[in-house]
Amino acid sequence: MTEDSQRNFRSVYYEKVGFRGVEEKKSLEILLKDDRLDIEKLCTFSQRFPLPSMYRALVWKVLLGILPPHHESHVQVMTYRKEQYSDVLHALKVIRFVSDATPQSEVYLYMHRLESGKLPRSPSFPLEPEDEVFLAIAKAMEEMVEDSVDCYWITRCFVNQLNSKYRDTLPQLPKAFEQYLNLEDSRLLSHLKACCAVSTLPYELWFKKCFAGCLPESSLQRIWDKVVSGSCKILVFVAVEILLTFKIKVMALNSAEKITKFLENVSVLCFT
Amino acid sequence: MSARLCGPLQVDGSLSRGQGSHPWISDSGVWYVQIWVLENCSPLLTVFGARRGTHTQKVPLAACVHVCLAHVSRVQLGPPRWISFLGHVTEVYLVHLHASVYALFHRLYGMYPCNFVSFLRSHYSMKENLETFEEVVKPMMEHVRIHPELVTGSKDHELDPRRWKRLETHDVVIECAKISLDPTEASYEDGYSVSHQISARFPHRSADVSASSYVDTQNSYGNATSTPYSTSRLTLNTPGQLPQTLSSPSTRLLAEPPQATLWSPSAVCGMTTPPTSPGNVPPDLSHPYSKVFGTTGGKGTPLGTPATSPPPAPPCHSDDCVHLSLPQATAPKKEERTDSARPCLHRQPHVPNDRGLEELHGGKGSVTLSDLPGFLGDLASEEDSIEKDKEEAAISKELSEITTADAEPLVPRGGFDSPFYRDSLPGCPRKTLSASSSTQGTSANPEPLNSSLDKSGPDTPKQAFTPIDLPCGGTGESPAGNRERQASLEASILTPSPCKIPPQRGVGFGSGQPPPYDHLFEVALPKTAHHFVSKKTEELLKKAKGSAEEDFTPSASPMEVLDRLIQQGADVHSKELNRLSLPSKSVDWTHFGGSPPSDEIRTLRNQLLLLHNQLLYERFKRQQHALRNRRLLRKVIRASALEEHNAAMKDQLKLQEKDIQIWKISLQKEQARYNQLQEQRDTVVTQLHSQIRQLQHDREEFYNQSQELQTKLEDCRNMIAELRVELKKANSKVCHTELLLSQVSQKLSNSESVQQQMEFLNRQLLVLGEVNELYLEQLQNKHSDTTKEVEMMKAAYRKELEKNRSHVLQQNQRLDTCQKRILELESHLAKKDHLLLEQKKYLEDVKLQARGQLQAAESRYEAQKRITQVFELEILDLYGKLEKDGLLKKLEEQKPEAAEAAEERLDYCQDGCSDSVTGHNEEAPGRNGETKPSRPGGARGGGGGGGRGGGSSSELSTPEKPPNPRAGPFSSRWETVVGEPTSGTPTTVGSLPSSESFLGMKARELFRNKSESQCDEDGLTVGSLSETLKTELGKDSGVEARAPLTLDGPLLPAPKPDSVGQLRIMDYNEAQLEHS
Repeated sequence: MTEDSQRNFRSVYYEKVGFRGVEEKKSLEILLKDDRLDIEKLCTFSQRFPLPSMYRALVWKVLLGILPPHHESHVQVMTYRKEQYSDVLHALKVIRFVSDATPQSEVYLYMHRLESGKLPRSPSFPLEPEDEVFLAIAKAMEEMVEDSVDCYWITRCFVNQLNSKYRDTLPQLPKAFEQYLNLEDSRLLSHLKACCAVSTLPYELWFKKCFAGCLPESSLQRIWDKVVSGSCKILVFVAVEILLTFKIKVMALNSAEKITKFLENVSVLCFT
Repeated sequence: MSARLCGPLQVDGSLSRGQGSHPWISDSGVWYVQIWVLENCSPLLTVFGARRGTHTQKVPLAACVHVCLAHVSRVQLGPPRWISFLGHVTEVYLVHLHASVYALFHRLYGMYPCNFVSFLRSHYSMKENLETFEEVVKPMMEHVRIHPELVTGSKDHELDPRRWKRLETHDVVIECAKISLDPTEASYEDGYSVSHQISARFPHRSADVSASSYVDTQNSYGNATSTPYSTSRLTLNTPGQLPQTLSSPSTRLLAEPPQATLWSPSAVCGMTTPPTSPGNVPPDLSHPYSKVFGTTGGKGTPLGTPATSPPPAPPCHSDDCVHLSLPQATAPKKEERTDSARPCLHRQPHVPNDRGLEELHGGKGSVTLSDLPGFLGDLASEEDSIEKDKEEAAISKELSEITTADAEPLVPRGGFDSPFYRDSLPGCPRKTLSASSSTQGTSANPEPLNSSLDKSGPDTPKQAFTPIDLPCGGTGESPAGNRERQASLEASILTPSPCKIPPQRGVGFGSGQPPPYDHLFEVALPKTAHHFVSKKTEELLKKAKGSAEEDFTPSASPMEVLDRLIQQGADVHSKELNRLSLPSKSVDWTHFGGSPPSDEIRTLRNQLLLLHNQLLYERFKRQQHALRNRRLLRKVIRASALEEHNAAMKDQLKLQEKDIQIWKISLQKEQARYNQLQEQRDTVVTQLHSQIRQLQHDREEFYNQSQELQTKLEDCRNMIAELRVELKKANSKVCHTELLLSQVSQKLSNSESVQQQMEFLNRQLLVLGEVNELYLEQLQNKHSDTTKEVEMMKAAYRKELEKNRSHVLQQNQRLDTCQKRILELESHLAKKDHLLLEQKKYLEDVKLQARGQLQAAESRYEAQKRITQVFELEILDLYGKLEKDGLLKKLEEQKPEAAEAAEERLDYCQDGCSDSVTGHNEEAPGRNGETKPSRPGGARGGGGGGGRGGGSSSELSTPEKPPNPRAGPFSSRWETVVGEPTSGTPTTVGSLPSSESFLGMKARELFRNKSESQCDEDGLTVGSLSETLKTELGKDSGVEARAPLTLDGPLLPAPKPDSVGQLRIMDYNEAQLEHS
C-alpha cells in the first residue's frame, strides 16, 4: 500500500497517453532503492524497458560488476576504481605512453591493455583487431558516459563481458542472423546470396563492435542496455531490422562491396 | 458460248457495219445481229450470273437491252414505209427480236429485278421513251409477277456474286422462270405453283385483260380442237356444258366465254396467230390481238403484241398444245396427285372435243376453224391448182401424220398412269375430224375468208393478215398474195401483221416440215420433267410404231416454238422452192419483176441462220433443263424409294400389330390363369385362417394352463424360500447352541478349576484355621504389649505421610517453574536462532560487501601490479640503456683490466637478457671460471622480467631469495647491515653484489663451497644451499603469516625510492604470497 501511495496516481494514464518512461522510471527507482540491489531484477528490467538515461550509468555499472550490489560500499568501491584509474593513467603517463593530447579512447585502450598485461612495447605498435573493437566501443561510450572513470570502467567491463560471457555466442550470431532474415524476408536473403554479400556483411561491426559507430548513440544506448543486461541476440534482431528497413536500397544494389559499404554507413543514412 | 457468239458473227459479214448506224436504215444484217445479240444475251446472262454475277457485264447488257428495246419500239413505231421498205424480211426478224427481247427481259427481271426496274424507271420516265414503254415494255411486264427481290433485295445485294455461287445455270433459269407468268417460261414448281393456279383463276373471274388471254387461248384451242391439249384446256367446257360454261360463273371463264364466243381473236388470228398463246401469249398481247384482230376495231391496240404471238402453224400448234396442256393442266395436278387429277381428266377428254370444236368451228367463224386448212386453202386456191394440190396433199399428209402421231402417242400415254390416257383417246377422233374439216376447209374456206376480209371493216386486220399470211405461206408461190398483203399492210398502218405473217409462213413451213428439233424441246419445259420421264419410256416402247413421234412430241414454249414453227415453215418453203420447177420460180419472179431470187434466198438463209441461232439457244436451254431433270429424276427416284420404304414399314407395322394381338390373347389367358390361382389361394387362405383360429384357441388354453402352473410354481418357490429361511434360522440356532456349548464347556472347565481351587483354598483355609487357632492361642498369650507400639507406629507413619505430601507439593511447584523456565529458554533459543540467521545474513551481506570491495581492491591491486610491472619493465629498460652507456664508458677507461668482464657483459647484453642483476651473478662464477651458475641467473632473469612464477624462480634464484623475506621482518636487523651497501650502491645493483651484502656473502660461500668441493660436488652444495634456504624460508614463513596483514598498509603505498632492491624484494614477497 505504501508503494502504491507513493506512486503517482496519474501513472495509470501515462501509458495511455504514450509516456512510457514515467512509470518505468518509477519502478526502476524502486528497484534501485533496495539496499542490496537485485541484479537479476535489474537485468530483466533493462531487457524489457529502455533505461532512463539518468540511471543508465549506475545500472550499467552495477550490472557489469563495477559497483557491488550494496549501496554502502559504493562510495568506497568507487574510490578504489577511481584510484585505480588514476594510478593506471599515471603509470601510463609516467612511462610516457600517453600524454594529454592522446585521445581518450586510446588512453582507455592502453589502460585496458596495461591492466590485462598486454601493453605493447611502444605506442607505435600496430593495433590488433581487438583493439579496434575496443576503440570503437570506447568512442561510442565516451558519448554516452560523461565521467571518464565511469567511461573507462564501463568500456572495459563491457568489452570483458563480450570477450568472456559472449565468447561462445558471438561467432554464432551470423548464422542466427541468416536464419532470422530468411524468416522475415527470404527474397532479400536470396538477393544477398546472389550477390555473394552474405559472407561480406559487416558482421564485425554489428556483432563485435555491437554497432558502435554504426548507429547513433541515442539508439545505441538502448541496444547496449540489452547487451549489458545479458542478451546479445538483440544484435541479430537489430541487424535484421536494419536490412529490412533498407531493403529497397539493398535490393537495388547488386555487388557485395556496395552492399557492405552501404550497411557500414547506415548511421549516416539514419540522419538523412 | 464464245463459239456461239463467234459463229453468227462470222456468218454474216455485214454485221459489223450495221451496229453503229440506225437500225432501220441498216440492212437486214443489223437486225440479225441485234436479234442474235438478244437471243444470246439471256443465256449469257444466266451463265454469267451463275458464274460471276459481276456488274461490269451488266452495264453493256443493260445498254444492249436499252438499244434493243429502242429498236423494237422504233421499228414498231417507225413509219410504215420503213416496214414496207424493209418488207417481210424485217418482220421476220422482228418476230425473232421480240422473242429474244422477251427472253432477255425475263432474264434481266428474274436475275436483277431491282437494277432492272430502276433502269426501266430511269429510262422510261422520260417522255420520249414513254411510247416505247407502253408498247414494248409494258406488255412484257404483264407476263411477270412482282419479284420478291423487289421487296427484300437491294441493288447492291443483287450484284453480289455470292448470290449465284450456289446455283447452277439451270437453277438460275428456273429462278427466272418462277417469276414469269408466261406458261412457257413459268415454272410451277415449288411454292409458285399455287400462285400460278390462283393467277390462272383470278383473271378469268375478274374479267381482266389478262383473262382474255386465256379466253383467247381457249378459243384458240377450240379452234385448234385437233389438239388433245385443247381438250385439257377446256376441261370445264365439257362438251354438253360448253354453253353453260360460257354462261355459268362457276367456270373459270365466267365472263370471258361470251367475249370468246363473240369474238374469238384466236379464231380470227387462228390461222395466222398461234393458238399456242393460251399459255404463252401474255394477256396483254392476246388482248391487243383480240382487239386488233378480234371483233371490234375500236379495241384495236397497237402493234406491240406481235412479238410474243408469232403464230405457229396449226399442225405445230397441235404439238404445242399438247405440250402446253401438259404443263398447264397436268402439271399442277400432278403435283397434287395423279388420283385427284384423274376424275377431272376423265371428263375433260370426252367433253370438249366434238361439240366444242364443232361449235367453235361453226360459231366463231370460218377463220378460226379453218386455221391451217383455211390458210392453206387460201394459199392453195390462189396458187396454181397443181401446186395447190401438191401443197394440199403435203399439208394434209402432214396433218394426218400429225394427227396420227398425236393419236398414237396419246393412246400409250393413256395406257400409262398419266392422265393423258383418256385425253389421247378422244383426241384422236377430234384430230381426225379436224383434219378432215381442215381438208374440207381447205377446199371450201378460202372464199369465206376472202369474203370476210372484204366484208367487214373490223375484219380489215384479218384481211391484213390474210394478205400477209398468203405471202408468208407461199411467198414464192403467189405473187398476188404478196401484193395483197403489201396492200393490206399499206392500208392498215396499224397492222401487227408481222405477227401474222410469220405464222402464215410458219404454217407453211410447219406443215411442210416436221419440226426437226422438236425432240430437243421436250426437255425445255421444267414442269414436264416427270411427264417427260414417262413419256420417254413410252416413246421407247413405241419407237417402232412410227417416226412421226417427233411430230407428236410436244413443242416448247409457245413463242419460241412459234418462232421455230415459222422457221420450219420457212424451211418447208425453201424446200418447196427447191421442189418447184425453176421455170415456175423464174416465172414468178420475172412476173413480179421486183423480188430477185437471190434476195429471197439470202433472206431465207438469214432466217435459217436465225433459226439455227434459236436452235442453239434452245439447245442450251434444253441442256440446262436436262441437267435439272436429272436432278429431279434423282428426287423422284428417292421419293419412290421412300415410298417403298414406307410400304415396307407398313408391312412391318402390320406384323407388329399381329404380334400385339397374339400377345393380347396370351395376356388374357394369363389373366384367367391368374384369376384361378387367386381363387385357389383365397380358399387356402380361408382354410389357413380357420386353422389359425383353432390354434389360437389352443394357445389360449395352453396359456391359461401355463399361468396356473406358474402360479403354482411361484407358490412352491415361496414355500422353498420360507423353508430356506427356516433352515437358516435353524442353522443359526445350531451355531448358537454350539457356541453356547463351547461356552458352557469352558465354564465347566473353569468351574472345575475353580472347584479345584476352592478345594485347595478350603484346605488352605483349614490350614490357616489351624494356624489361626495356633496364633490365637499365642496371641492370647501375648496381647498386652503390642498396642502401644502400634499406636506409636501409626503416629509416626502419619507424620511421615504428611511430610511426604508437602514434599510432593514442593516438587510439583518446582516442576512448574522449571517448565516455565524451559519455555522461556526455548523462546530465547528461537530468538537467538533467528538472530543468528539474521546475523548470518548480515554477515553474508557484509561478506558480499566486503567481497565487492575486496574485488575492487583486488582489481586495483592487480592494476597496481601491472603498473609496477610496467614500471619495472620501464626501469629495466632504462637500466639496460644506462648500463650500455656505462659499460661503453668503462670499456673506454679500463680497457686492459676489465676487458674480459666487459666482453662478458657485452656478451650477456647481447644475449638479449635485460636483467643486469643476473649479469652480475654470472660475473662471479665467470670470474671463478665456472659457467654453471649462468643458468640460474638466466632463469632468474626471465622470472624477474616476466614478474610471474615467483615459486619456480625462487628456488633457482636462491642466492637472492633469502633477502626477500627478510626484508620485512628483519628489516631492523638488516637495515643496519644492508643499509650501507644498498644505499651506497644503488646504481651499481646490477654489478657484482658487493661482498658485504648478504647476497655477496652467500654467493661467496656458495662459490667457495664450490671451489672447495670442486665441480663434482656441485649438486651437494646446491642441495645444502637449498636446505639452508629452506630453513630460512621456514623462519620466514612464520613471520610472513603475520606479514601480509601488515604489509598491505605500509608496503603498497610505499614503493619508496630508497632502494631498488627493496622494491624488488617486495615484488618477490608479493609473488610468494600469491603463490602461497
